[in-house]
Amino acid sequence: MPQLRRSDWYDIARDMNWNLRYVSHEQAFPPEIVGPMGDTEPATWWKWDEPYKLSYREYVYNQVDKDAGVAAVGAAIARSNLFDQLDEGWKGAIKAHFGAVTVSEGQSTLAESRMGRFGLAAAWRNMALYGALDEMRHVQIQLKVAHSLLEKDPQFDWAHKAYHTGNWAIIAAMSHNDELFLGSDVISTAIQLTFTFETGFTNLQFIGMAADAMELGDVEFGALISSIQTDEARHAQQGEPTLKLLLETGQKDLAQRLIDVSFWRAWHLFATLTGPSLDYWTPLEHRAMSFKEFMEEWIIRQFMDQLEDLGLEKPWYWDQFLDELDWYHHSEHAGIWYFRNTVWWNPDAGVSDSEREWLEAKYPGWTEKFGTLWDTIGESVRADKVDATFGKTLPILCNTCHLPVFKIPGTTSDCEPRQSVHEERTYTFCSEPCQWIFDQSPQRYVGTKTLIDRLTMGDIQPPTIEGILEYMGITPDIAGDDAAKYRWATERQPQLAAGAAA
Amino acid sequence: MSNAETTRSARKAPKTWSQLSAAGVRRKPSEYEVVTHNLIYHMDKSPTPFELAASAPLNAWYLRYREGSTFRVDDWNGFRDPHRLTYHSYVSQQNQREIHLDAIVDRFEAGGDRPPLSADWVAVLERVYLTSRYSSHVLQMAAMYLAQLSPSSYVANCAEFQAGDEMRRIQRSAYRAKSLSLQFGEQLADTQATRRIWEDDEAWQPLRKVLEELLIAYDLGEAFAALNLVVKPLHDAFFINVLGVVAQAEDDEELALMLDDFRLDSDRNNDWSKALVAYAVSQRPENRDVLAGWVEKWRPQTEAAIEAASAMLADRWPADRGDMGELVAETYEALLSDCGLLPTQAV
Ligand SMILES: [Fe+2]
Ligand SMILES: [Fe+2]
Repeated sequence: MPQLRRSDWYDIARDMNWNLRYVSHEQAFPPEIVGPMGDTEPATWWKWDEPYKLSYREYVYNQVDKDAGVAAVGAAIARSNLFDQLDEGWKGAIKAHFGAVTVSEGQSTLAESRMGRFGLAAAWRNMALYGALDEMRHVQIQLKVAHSLLEKDPQFDWAHKAYHTGNWAIIAAMSHNDELFLGSDVISTAIQLTFTFETGFTNLQFIGMAADAMELGDVEFGALISSIQTDEARHAQQGEPTLKLLLETGQKDLAQRLIDVSFWRAWHLFATLTGPSLDYWTPLEHRAMSFKEFMEEWIIRQFMDQLEDLGLEKPWYWDQFLDELDWYHHSEHAGIWYFRNTVWWNPDAGVSDSEREWLEAKYPGWTEKFGTLWDTIGESVRADKVDATFGKTLPILCNTCHLPVFKIPGTTSDCEPRQSVHEERTYTFCSEPCQWIFDQSPQRYVGTKTLIDRLTMGDIQPPTIEGILEYMGITPDIAGDDAAKYRWATERQPQLAAGAAA
Repeated sequence: MSNAETTRSARKAPKTWSQLSAAGVRRKPSEYEVVTHNLIYHMDKSPTPFELAASAPLNAWYLRYREGSTFRVDDWNGFRDPHRLTYHSYVSQQNQREIHLDAIVDRFEAGGDRPPLSADWVAVLERVYLTSRYSSHVLQMAAMYLAQLSPSSYVANCAEFQAGDEMRRIQRSAYRAKSLSLQFGEQLADTQATRRIWEDDEAWQPLRKVLEELLIAYDLGEAFAALNLVVKPLHDAFFINVLGVVAQAEDDEELALMLDDFRLDSDRNNDWSKALVAYAVSQRPENRDVLAGWVEKWRPQTEAAIEAASAMLADRWPADRGDMGELVAETYEALLSDCGLLPTQAV
């Protein structure tokens, strides 16, 4: 082994900053792509200091090793029938994951690369280069696993296809990802992607889902996403030094605003994806913790502690957030199930008697808010009117998060529609924070359209059910249906069950 | 057709991604294609690449410099990296190569067969090799720019790996700086001192100017052509090939062996550059003139800059190796010729 340790030479390879002479700083680091530096001298940013040091040599060594671990698990699984034995609801959760997440890792590759070019310190640019390579890994190992499952189930095609469609769930994900990182300047990206999203929220999906996967024996998926999370934990550390520099350069308000915007956007997206995955689609006996418990542990405790340690505050809408924590993802889950033929997985209703008991215990008041809705659906199923349980009227979608606008009695959503007018167009929002996000920076959002806007404004042709499904990329072979073939309803009151079961 | 057959074919499992079958790939796709194909879904997306206002800065940037570039083809997803690198094959291959470099370092650290380096050679190393950390870092930045602006994941990944290769050699140079400093003086490991050479040494300034200007070559076609068809090939012809010959002549075998290894990276990056030129020209013949135009714009000043930098090695160049400038010119012309971009190859 070479005699010098990494710490002996590392600073020489990271203190690579210099003063531009032949082009101006604004030319090489244009404000619109670098973001809000404030009145700081470029050299102020040279002290950007990553908490985690790593050499290229160590990087390739570690990563080969990690890949070998994932591949070994994959090979063992390929020889077994493990996948066939998995619960259908859980399969739905992993298909939702592959569709929403896989190609978005490629968006992160590009956002990291942009920091690798425009980051304001060489140390930052180097960390971002590892981040870009990590994210490429995440795209590729997830595509590889999903591709191997294609022969068992065509819905896995959406691990690759999803972002090529105008599917409502994907528009919501794109809008979120573009806001936080893919369509963002590098300073904002460091805060929104590597701090809010990776230091905070991805833990929910990647640690929460990994915990459940291990519980129920989906070792391959568990190993896959745990391995990904080890990369995230490293490159997520670009957020903190950037945040520190923003604070040091007197830009606390800006930092707080970036956190407030990205926290709310991430909350809605993860509530839609991770919320139902943990609380409805994972078989009851294998749920490690409820979504709310994960939120409390990873976001309210750990992430907020970190935020406060750095001198920032809870977002201004904290009360609304706590209110939504009890109902929002349950509404999303019902909405997804209701419009299940517009998604690429089979969502599990997850409301058998024992599951309802669990939901009521984890979310006191659940029965009152959602029980009746599922009672009605169950009755339709038992009355052989499954058709009536599909969404027919178009929902109103929020112009910020692109997710449905709900009106749930006794919650913050129980009010007149929230609307703002910009350039003579009326925009509608699901919540006060979503409205605030749009209104505090309308020039960033004007003209954007929800799926429903696209329909009513003539972008989707023909404006029929077939036209919308085609726009959303939904084909009959992958259109979702109830994961349990409605047994949760038919078996609930067997005496009434009449032909509704598949 | 019998019923049984109908049922069987209706149930036939898809062989690969629908996007890959739609692209007309009939044979069984390779793992490389499965994990690389068509991931940059926002290229040419209507009405804007990103779900933000059309005037949002990043939408405007991509519409102008990526979608708006004169370097374009209808289908960027037909391009293939000749080395078919995936993340896994890249890190595996580079891990092996890093083990090889460690072995070289070990051998020289063990001493014994190592002839003592002269102080004046170390001064040359400081001025040329150690300072090239800065020039290589600019190449790394420019490769990252190209990666994030790429119209296809097949292109983006090549640029990502290229950036990784630059970081790789920078870190080995940093190691050598520290190692030399223990024997020949602390300033060798003093980044301020090295930065002063990069910022003030007259021989470096023309190249520094080219590299700083490279950072603002924002158009996709210009970014690719300036970096991969002009600046990096000429830079590497000097900082790998020429420096390698000199290191050998100075009995600095450690450096010579390292540079031999870095040449493998540099050659691999030339391979994808050539393949991309060939693909782009085959899809749209006008791309030849587009690229040739950018090469013409960047070549004279870059060649002059390398010539200015050559002064740093002029008195070290072994007389029996012919003309130093010839070596650079030959290496570079060979690349342009392979690309069909020599002025004499104009159609
Ligand atoms: Fe990732
Ligand atoms: Fe919203």
